[in-house]
Amino acid sequence: MSCVSELSQSNEYLSFRSSIPLRKIVVDSDGSKAWRIFDSGPKSVSCPLICLPPVSGTADVFFQQVLGLAARGVRVIAAEPPPYWNMKEWCDGFKRLIDYLELDKVHVFGASLGGFIAQKFAEVTSNCPRVASLVLCNTFTDTSVFEYHDSAALFWLLPSLVLKRMLMGNFTTDKLDKRMAEAIDFMVERLESLNQSELASRLTLNCTPCYIKPQALLHLPITVMDVWDECALSSRVREDLYKSYPHAKLAHLKSGGNFPYLSRSDEVNLHLLIHLRQFDGTDLSASYISLHKMPAPTNQPEEGTVSYFNQREKVVKIS
Amino acid sequence: MSSRKKALLKVIILGDSGVGKTSLMNQFVNKKFSNQYKATIGADFLTKEVIVDDRIVTMQIWDTAGQERFQSLGVAFYRGADCCVLVFDVTAPNTFKSLESWRDEFLIQASPRDPDNFPFVILGNKIDLDNRAVSAKRAQQWCQSKNDIPYFETSAKEAVNVELAFQTIARNALAQETEAELYNEFPDQIKLNANDNGRNRDGDNCAC
Repeated sequence: MSCVSELSQSNEYLSFRSSIPLRKIVVDSDGSKAWRIFDSGPKSVSCPLICLPPVSGTADVFFQQVLGLAARGVRVIAAEPPPYWNMKEWCDGFKRLIDYLELDKVHVFGASLGGFIAQKFAEVTSNCPRVASLVLCNTFTDTSVFEYHDSAALFWLLPSLVLKRMLMGNFTTDKLDKRMAEAIDFMVERLESLNQSELASRLTLNCTPCYIKPQALLHLPITVMDVWDECALSSRVREDLYKSYPHAKLAHLKSGGNFPYLSRSDEVNLHLLIHLRQFDGTDLSASYISLHKMPAPTNQPEEGTVSYFNQREKVVKIS
Repeated sequence: MSSRKKALLKVIILGDSGVGKTSLMNQFVNKKFSNQYKATIGADFLTKEVIVDDRIVTMQIWDTAGQERFQSLGVAFYRGADCCVLVFDVTAPNTFKSLESWRDEFLIQASPRDPDNFPFVILGNKIDLDNRAVSAKRAQQWCQSKNDIPYFETSAKEAVNVELAFQTIARNALAQETEAELYNEFPDQIKLNANDNGRNRDGDNCAC
């Protein structure tokens, strides 16, 4: 289908697509399965930031992170997996991908399902660590938070229309500002572009009973990023995540909906920079230059921020 | 236990370098103080849960480098701020004189809707030192002239007034947030309906 949403027509997105090639990398014996990645920034950096999308996302949902962080010298790889039907397959495939890319360790920024799998991957590789750090965005530690536990085994035979409808229900929220609405439009387009096996496999991973053992990750630097307005995850799920990682840095966003990397990209990028900054000057640095300086202001016009600023006319008596 | 009632407050600490912004934050959040001075680079933040009038409030406190000017910090940094804390060193008059420009700069960059009533709090830090140069009276006068900004004399080193100051910061920020939410309710929902009609038609029958 053609992409007509505001974001896919934006200059940023067009410049992203025209400057960074979409690479397809086959790492499985089944040649039809290919990872799709956008790899930007200096190839000399061997410990990049890898972004993993949610169920409905494709690799390009992270275009604003790729663009924003590349400007700071960070190597960012937005990666989208081929259909894998269980966690072990997925983790094996991902390991082969980072082997193929000749990366020793990686920082992972995972959103929703991407964040869950990132934790799982860090857990299963904890004996021979491949994950340098985690940034977990709107994610969870146990798939039981989703209602489809019992039916997960049947997703593979549902038509894609049904699967899409299951996901779309999560997209709308109560309070929307312009940027959040644009983010949803963009995600709907990405969702439309996914085929049945991609969708069914991701939903299967998302809903098959599985949980993370956080004690294996207690040595890892972690930033937990979440939005405090309406989103698909309840506050209980968010609090479970805080409890699992008491050492994590908590990067709360006041608002942003389900897709803050699209709707609040500047804030998300700021938190990513603060997270990555701790590795400056070490082997694990994701950038070839020091991140210890805040970004220069972007001169893009501010859109839609007005209604989301919690600063409508207020009459506060300061006592 | 509904966290809908939980509030997130973004607090920004500003002031000249060396006045003790990081120390104040560390004293409040971690109950720690170090005499060693290490210049903050860029900006960083800490979170802490506090209880204000029986409400659980999460404060996200942003510390900045005194050398940095706003221009270099980016929009995202001060977006959505609920309270701005201006710090000066009571032993260094020039840091007191800079308050005005820090305040002005914050108002320009963050451009709150109602600048006259945006909650600021002024902290005169390092009162544990002997060589005091800015009197409490002088500071208070200035605060009064600026629409009665609350003023506290603190010592991050000896934990004097730090807790009290941050309680006030949280309370004032919360007051402003609550007001803002009341006002926000209406326009947002109208906007939503306009935007969402088309989408709802094909995706309204699932809630997971």
